[in-house]
Amino acid sequence: MSTAISGTLTAARLHRRTLLRSALVGSAAAAVGLRAPAVLGQAKKFAGVTLQGASFASTFFGYLQNYIPEFEEETGMKVNFVTNAFPVFNQRTDLELSTQGSALDVINVTFIYSGRWIGAGWVENLKPFVEDPNLTPDDWDASDFVGGTMASLQDANGDAHGFPWEAGAMIMAAARADLLDQKGLALPTTFDELMNVCEMTKGMERVAPFTADKLHHWNWIPYLMGMGGTVFKDPPANLTPTWDTPEAAKAADFYGKLLSEYGPPGVLSFTDDQSMQSQKTGRANIRTQAITWMVPLSKDPDSRVADKVRYGPVPAGPAGSFPGSNSHGFGIPVGSKNKEAAWEFIKWAVGKDITLRMLEEHGYPSVCRRSIIDSELFKETLTLNGQDVASLYLETLELGGKSGYMKYRTVPQFPQVGDKINKAIEKVATGQADGATAMAQAQEEAVADLKKSGVQIDG
Amino acid sequence: MPALVALMVVTLLPTIYLVIVSLTPLDLARPETHWDFSDPLGQYRTVLNDERLHNSFWVQAKLSFWSVALQVLLGFLFALLLNVNSRVLLALRTVFLIPMVLPPIVVAIIWKVLYTPDISPLHWATEAMGFVVPSLITDPDWALTAIIVADVWEWFPFVMLMVLASLQMMPSEYVEAAKVDGASVLQLTFYVTLPYLKGVLLVAALFRLVDSIKAFPLIYILTDGGPGTVTEVTNFYSFIQAFNFSYLGYSSAITVVLVIVTILLSWAIIRLVGWGQRVD
Repeated sequence: MSTAISGTLTAARLHRRTLLRSALVGSAAAAVGLRAPAVLGQAKKFAGVTLQGASFASTFFGYLQNYIPEFEEETGMKVNFVTNAFPVFNQRTDLELSTQGSALDVINVTFIYSGRWIGAGWVENLKPFVEDPNLTPDDWDASDFVGGTMASLQDANGDAHGFPWEAGAMIMAAARADLLDQKGLALPTTFDELMNVCEMTKGMERVAPFTADKLHHWNWIPYLMGMGGTVFKDPPANLTPTWDTPEAAKAADFYGKLLSEYGPPGVLSFTDDQSMQSQKTGRANIRTQAITWMVPLSKDPDSRVADKVRYGPVPAGPAGSFPGSNSHGFGIPVGSKNKEAAWEFIKWAVGKDITLRMLEEHGYPSVCRRSIIDSELFKETLTLNGQDVASLYLETLELGGKSGYMKYRTVPQFPQVGDKINKAIEKVATGQADGATAMAQAQEEAVADLKKSGVQIDG
Repeated sequence: MPALVALMVVTLLPTIYLVIVSLTPLDLARPETHWDFSDPLGQYRTVLNDERLHNSFWVQAKLSFWSVALQVLLGFLFALLLNVNSRVLLALRTVFLIPMVLPPIVVAIIWKVLYTPDISPLHWATEAMGFVVPSLITDPDWALTAIIVADVWEWFPFVMLMVLASLQMMPSEYVEAAKVDGASVLQLTFYVTLPYLKGVLLVAALFRLVDSIKAFPLIYILTDGGPGTVTEVTNFYSFIQAFNFSYLGYSSAITVVLVIVTILLSWAIIRLVGWGQRVD
């Protein structure tokens, strides 16, 4: 592409972006303008408040850190936001919430813990905050969040206990699609094709054909469902695990093989970030994971595969395609002593302005606001290497919402059940047991644990 | 008397509370389980039937045996080597103590780096020499060994320090008399030094044994108990039950059993070897 054409396109993009951004933020700015005297009157309302926040590490918080000084300047409060690895955050927060302590003011309401934390009354009902015009302007627009992303953050009455910052939609990315091209292979669309692509590209330029992180109870489920299996019989009504089935065994063997034969050395100990790095540095090729971890492959300046990455839907199994989808949102622990300040932070962090800036400046893809998802800017930002990743994202979100196959994940007992899946997959991937044995043993352990939680199990 | 009260408050009361909680099915997510004594032995019955827990005892036994044995052996050998009046060796003593004084998390991170193929100088070096070493912490045949190696590296200086201190106080007459009788270096070691050090070696081994049962940071950082349950020791399993699943009642029952096993084991070893009997 010549410099002149490139320059024209850039100018056009900037122009469109400016217009779109103006249009989206315009109404908010107008409302702020109308309320200016009140806001000015409350300037530095939260001076002296230190807000303690926590979440698991995600690209979102890396981007958010850039904007927090502005928020602190605007409100007068100090924000101390800590991120940890996924299991560490969940452990700590679960304990903190169960004691109803006041150490944390804003937390991430993790998808798999949402049923448990909201059900136990450990996370504040945000409805009163949203409905109070003194705390929330109309144009903040709580109804703008996509319904599917709110589902796990609502209680039985439909009241919101959190607002989402991430809508995770699982897609597939081949960081070194050029290797597939060299072999004349297309992006795999089925499990068989995926296995074939891994086999055909094994050993090429020392690139591992497949990579993943160690959260198998998230990564493996699309393979389980694709083979025709399920996690529970009929969640949330019937939580009898269904892993001692041929489908589950086959899925475990299949996924175990992907990890053991085609994964990079040490893949079983990879965190999300390590797995993303293995792709960004071009040491590993295909991964099926939430879009949040995939877009940086083409957007981050330090990515070595930006011009080689290609995206596609999660391959389908004999029973169909079941890409994972979830959402994580901000909530306020009931024990917090700074609830108003916490709400101010949540409003800001998932407000239209910050969401838009994250999209525009960092290409943050896991947007939860419909007004932005529908915008031209979203589509344009998520057109990566000429591919319409925005549509891929929306299709995945809608698929999960429509058929409800993700219901297994928000039952309060999922954390302990998920642990059994993680262990079983590790055993299969390291050759300690075959799929049938490992899954049958996991089933036995899960049943015992569920009974311990007072859950009725069939048989 | 005040000392007795202080001792009770500090050590006995938490233990009593632990035993009380172990008699309930306390689950933090289910308020109705608080102070539910309807089936006080329920958690202990689960202990008897929990195969993953039984496996964790076996893993614990392997970890404790090998790490304590190697720490005592290496600690003893290094103490013998360093028990010489030399400036260089004096400086070396301090260097050898470094692993022991590092925070356990730092030690775990050091070994995490060493065991992670992509960033490990160990893996780079072996690869340069033409060997491909698998990722030790994710290989079921090597994961526990990897933990043991790291644990030995961290704690053999403790044994070395104790033995060295004892060697410095060893009356020189013993050695001189043996030399006059024509004893070789090996004979000196086996018939004079070792019997003299028996007590201190036993104390060091007991300390290390009790500490090995508390092994946590290395497992938490390096393997997370995996792959599968290959490195899942009992206190790590108890931690998961309490803090991942909120089963505090069950976790307390496991801990009570662990405390009893530790006390019995220590008692048996002391009886078996004989507490600090000096062989003159």
